[in-house]
Amino acid sequence: MAAAALDNANPTILSASQLPTRQKKTAPRLGPDSRFGDLIFSKPSYFSQPLSVDDLKAVSWPKLNSYEDDFASDPIDEQEIYDLISTISDPEHPVSLGQLSVINLPDIHITPSPSLGAPSPNTIVQVAVEITPTITHCSLATVIGLGVRVRLEQALPPNYRVVVRCKENSHSQDDQVNKQLSDKERVAAALENDTLKGVLDKMLETCA
Amino acid sequence: MPTSASATTTAERLVALPPLRPDLHERAWFSAPHPTLPLLATVHAKSVTVFSLTTLSSHSNLTGGHTRSVRSAAWKPNLPPHKLCLVTGSFDSTAGLWRWEDEAAASSSAGLEVEVTGRDGDSEKGDQDWEFTLVLEGHDSEIKTCAFSPSGAQLATCSRDKSVWIWEDIGASEADDEWETIAVLNEHEGDVKSLAWCPDVPGRSRPNTYGHDVLASASYDNTLRVWREDGDAEWVCVAVLEGHEGTVWGVEWEGKPRKGSMFPRLLSYSADGTLRVWTLTQQGEGDNDDDDAEQSGTAQARARNPLGGIPNTMRQSLREEWVCTATLPKVHSSDVYSAAWSPVTGLIASTGSDGVLALYKEKDDCSWTLLDSHENAHGPYEVNHVAWCRRWDSGIDSDKRGVEEMLITTGDDGVVRPWQVAVD
Repeated sequence: MAAAALDNANPTILSASQLPTRQKKTAPRLGPDSRFGDLIFSKPSYFSQPLSVDDLKAVSWPKLNSYEDDFASDPIDEQEIYDLISTISDPEHPVSLGQLSVINLPDIHITPSPSLGAPSPNTIVQVAVEITPTITHCSLATVIGLGVRVRLEQALPPNYRVVVRCKENSHSQDDQVNKQLSDKERVAAALENDTLKGVLDKMLETCA
Repeated sequence: MPTSASATTTAERLVALPPLRPDLHERAWFSAPHPTLPLLATVHAKSVTVFSLTTLSSHSNLTGGHTRSVRSAAWKPNLPPHKLCLVTGSFDSTAGLWRWEDEAAASSSAGLEVEVTGRDGDSEKGDQDWEFTLVLEGHDSEIKTCAFSPSGAQLATCSRDKSVWIWEDIGASEADDEWETIAVLNEHEGDVKSLAWCPDVPGRSRPNTYGHDVLASASYDNTLRVWREDGDAEWVCVAVLEGHEGTVWGVEWEGKPRKGSMFPRLLSYSADGTLRVWTLTQQGEGDNDDDDAEQSGTAQARARNPLGGIPNTMRQSLREEWVCTATLPKVHSSDVYSAAWSPVTGLIASTGSDGVLALYKEKDDCSWTLLDSHENAHGPYEVNHVAWCRRWDSGIDSDKRGVEEMLITTGDDGVVRPWQVAVD
């Protein structure tokens, strides 16, 4: 078995311009949409210290407080989640998860819905993302899911709980993958695995 | 008493007390209260911070023993008060053994406890007192929990490698650490998340085929298992407890002695958001004493026949029957990461991913009622652990120190917070 063989050698790739985004047009202005800009656009320093509370305290909290008025009128919505994760690179192909349609806007759900207004900083908000692996036996589904979970946990405030699942029937072992991705302890341990961390670093390099 | 008067006339409430100092500022997984001394070991990243529960601040730090995060810790019980021994279980697949000895206190027997526990925040000095004495290697992947048997003679560790290991110190003296593996238990079909030894309560010692020590394990395979040592000193699984619909994050034994010296029950908590109580089916259930039935050799007593000469394949018939006898009121909306069963009051506390701390009490009909719940116990963060321990600080009357219980929660925010259970 050739080690370099790809699981899916010929995936369908969409052009980046076809993808839904708000990122480009909001980038120049300093509005609420860019309140996590320094997290999103900065070098992913959090990899040296996974899930550091310092980062969250130092960056997210003061921002949340100082933008409280904006926050109230403009909560984090599905598009914002999409913009955070669609730019993650596929571990096999030099294209983004958005271009491969692994991440799709209609498969992102936030509860309570952002249309109800901004949640208080202590309200637990669930972000559910269904990923669609490019082929049903894609062995990298777990790694992709892990990348999505890690990306969101780093970027979102601490009251957001991230749930990443394989879209139903999209993956032959989706129950097993889903269980691993929802296990906090396994996720934490995986991030301390140098090999896996290297793969994740590379995937997240392309995030904005 | 025919009525449950106590349930209606008193109301227990959870009252948050100021967190221990300093904040750890990073995810803390677990806090282990010392069985007798006012000390609490909290694991975070690759180290352990030991807090004094007298001063409610840092006592000492254990660093440099592990290459990955420390997930759990356990105090060795039954040591003299000037000697401390802590075992740490780490994601680096090893367990570390740490010892702390106060030479000065050992020579002057007065005020031992003060010397060991009275330091306030002198962490620099504290660092030098802990010695990393031994690494226990053997597991293939992350160690999730480590736990000492009630006597301290045996240590159990469990791992993502699906196994439980039992270790014994065969060294000539306490300080002479020479640990060997006496059992490797491989029956779980997924990560073994947690372990608990049955405490040494009156109901534990029953005349039967097995040794006194009983170990329970909880797993990613959605089951619990109960393990005992048979007549040939071999550890065997005597029960598989099925019912949870998700990873069983942990298991706790009932520490408060039951009426009629009944065998302690088990509490399990799971990713399915529930907490369940399990009871061993005993002959003459409801009678105070069923020894006669056992000795008379009735059909029901077959499960307690000596194991001698029975081949492995027959052990199935020697299994214990454990039944889920209660499900606690549904409070948590997601994973219950931790629960604690008070050996003093019999109250249960639980916490988890939703950040809720809940307190339950058993009613006379053996169902459970919710006494109080506290949202955002650690603000927006997940709470990883809850434990009962004694209260030693100056915030309560001196005659209650070391007697009254409190709860300790440990969270992703690196905060370690005591909670008073106030009775109105």
